[in-house]
Amino acid sequence: MNWKRALLTDSGGFQMVSLLHLADITEKGVTFQSPVDGKRMLLTPEESIQIQNKIGADIIMALDDVVKTTTIGPRVEEAMYRTLRWIDRCLAAHQKPAVQNLFGIVQGGLDPVLRDICLRGLVERNLPGYAIGGLSGGEDKDSFWRVVAQCTAALPEDKPRYVMGVGYPLDIVVCSALGADMYDCVYPTRTARFGTALIPEGVLKLKHKVMASDERPIDPTCSCMVCKNYTRAYIHCLVTKDAMGSQLLSYHNLSYMMRLSRDLHTSIVEGRFPQFVQGFLRAQFPKGDVPKWVCNAMEVAGIDISACCAPLTSSQN
Amino acid sequence: MALRFEVVGRFNRARAARLTLPHFVCQTPLFMPVGTQGTIKGLTNNQLEDIGCQIILGNTYHLALRPGADLIDELGGLHKLMNWKRALLTDSGGFQMVSLLHLADITEKGVTFQSPVDGKRMLLTPEESIQIQNKIGADIIMALDDVVKTTTIGPRVEEAMYRTLRWIDRCLAAHQKPAVQNLFGIVQGGLDPVLRDICLRGLVERNLPGYAIGGLSGGEDKDSFWRVVAQCTAALPEDKPRYVMGVGYPLDIVVCSALGADMYDCVYPTRTARFGTALIPEGVLKLKHKVMASDERPIDPTCSCMVCKNYTRAYIHCLVTKDAMGSQLLSYHNLSYMMRLSRDLHTSIVEGRFPQFVQGFLRAQFPKGDVPKWVCNAMEVAGIDISACCAPLTSSQN
Repeated sequence: MNWKRALLTDSGGFQMVSLLHLADITEKGVTFQSPVDGKRMLLTPEESIQIQNKIGADIIMALDDVVKTTTIGPRVEEAMYRTLRWIDRCLAAHQKPAVQNLFGIVQGGLDPVLRDICLRGLVERNLPGYAIGGLSGGEDKDSFWRVVAQCTAALPEDKPRYVMGVGYPLDIVVCSALGADMYDCVYPTRTARFGTALIPEGVLKLKHKVMASDERPIDPTCSCMVCKNYTRAYIHCLVTKDAMGSQLLSYHNLSYMMRLSRDLHTSIVEGRFPQFVQGFLRAQFPKGDVPKWVCNAMEVAGIDISACCAPLTSSQN
Repeated sequence: MALRFEVVGRFNRARAARLTLPHFVCQTPLFMPVGTQGTIKGLTNNQLEDIGCQIILGNTYHLALRPGADLIDELGGLHKLMNWKRALLTDSGGFQMVSLLHLADITEKGVTFQSPVDGKRMLLTPEESIQIQNKIGADIIMALDDVVKTTTIGPRVEEAMYRTLRWIDRCLAAHQKPAVQNLFGIVQGGLDPVLRDICLRGLVERNLPGYAIGGLSGGEDKDSFWRVVAQCTAALPEDKPRYVMGVGYPLDIVVCSALGADMYDCVYPTRTARFGTALIPEGVLKLKHKVMASDERPIDPTCSCMVCKNYTRAYIHCLVTKDAMGSQLLSYHNLSYMMRLSRDLHTSIVEGRFPQFVQGFLRAQFPKGDVPKWVCNAMEVAGIDISACCAPLTSSQN
């Protein structure tokens, strides 16, 4: 790739389960039908780590037994315990601990008891970093933030915490307020392909007719190459009809996410994180209709956002 | 007239020139990438400037459909809409209509066709083509011509040639912005030197800012191709740009430049990129080929473009035909190659070493000396000695 900065690889497990129809999880590993020739194949923790050792990324992920957040019943518990057994197999298989950091992934669904067991099990193993897995899968936002809050409270202070599959800018701001450090998601680039740009106010749908003659940049506050060179009108012509449209929107959306990352870091370092959060929420919710789950999470995070929230009326809530 | 054309170097018929257009000062010979609807596939404006692109061609037909000529006009013209600071050229729309639309039909009025939007019968007249191009606002606009396939024979060729002459007058009458947009006429006449001559004289009489050689690159044999180009460049005025439409392959561009042409356009470099093919001095490199899978060299070690400086053949091999990034990187490289070829043609003529450039070019493409006969014949007429590049004739050749 000739990529000079850092790389992280996932375990391969999630794609297998989500992409392959006949994928099945057993104690050995993930069995699936090879998309190349249809043969039955098995991805074990050992093999996932071997492959990741060959790829050579800075951070590699343990193969975990991940279930949909909406799953209930004994499967959630089985998956959590299996994840703990598999981390030991991953650790044993890892050939390059001096140059590749193996992160463990906290599972346990939405059940705080199961999450707690998994957290303690992983922390015991003294890993270089930890991911919070099994979220961003359709669970309600109230459960989402509570699981993140529980995990960040229990994970070591001096190690990175990575919330997998997050996400929306708002979710990233909330999780950061609760003590998370790293995020990944296809959302910015995927939504670009549908003609949607990320802006401080939320989203801008470039396909909308009104964009056809709008000569402003996507985001006048954005200094990315796209906003410095192209108008909404031009991108409107392109979206869904020319690949260049998706390309320019992907560029802008990723710039937005990088800017968000920088703003989070810098505002914390400069001691103005609450002001940043307030500004962020005011831009996204100019009428003050900040979702309740955000209010609850910010309360736990100790950030006063009352100035951003419209006074409660009987029609709200 | 809204351009200035100054010849700054020569070798026999070949010329290097400075072409000053309203939006940009260009150096010829030059190749124009085709931007279809106001975008070159996968490249941003900055990238196009980085590789040295001077003029982009926009297809009037596609632009009129999307985003539409009136909208472009409202937004201040295509330059402003695209934010392209250099030069633009638009074609007349006629060619796409004839080649893309099944029910297109040419009459004296214009090109009648079935609208791809709602199936209604529509008519593109010379007047309307020029009106649309006036709205788009390109530096160079093309007359609507009656173009026939080069392989056509019979009275249709003559009819098309005379109609082209009648239509140039209608285009001239309709042209609202001669002070900022240069209307080029297009020489037609198929492969018939008599017809070509009539068309040439008719267009030259009208004292246009520039001239295109049309109706080629449509399947004719190479021998006929170069002869028509040679006839046209010999008859067109020395002090005006000559644009061979739809050319093309690097070899064709070198030959036409040797014969005295200045400007070219073709979808080939970007289209072939989408099939995984890169343009290199030796000819082409097929990135899909299995041997590329572990080849850690750049596409072209002599190329200094962003792709050759950053990516290996092995990496691009992974991508081609599977990830749009593969096409994109190859398009970038191929257009860089064409821009480099343009610069090399201009500079070698200015510096008095054009024959050596041509020899080097042919040696790289034909290391065994098997230069095609048509190239040898054309170079003879161009007065360029390429005997050192051609293997001695044996009874098996020829």
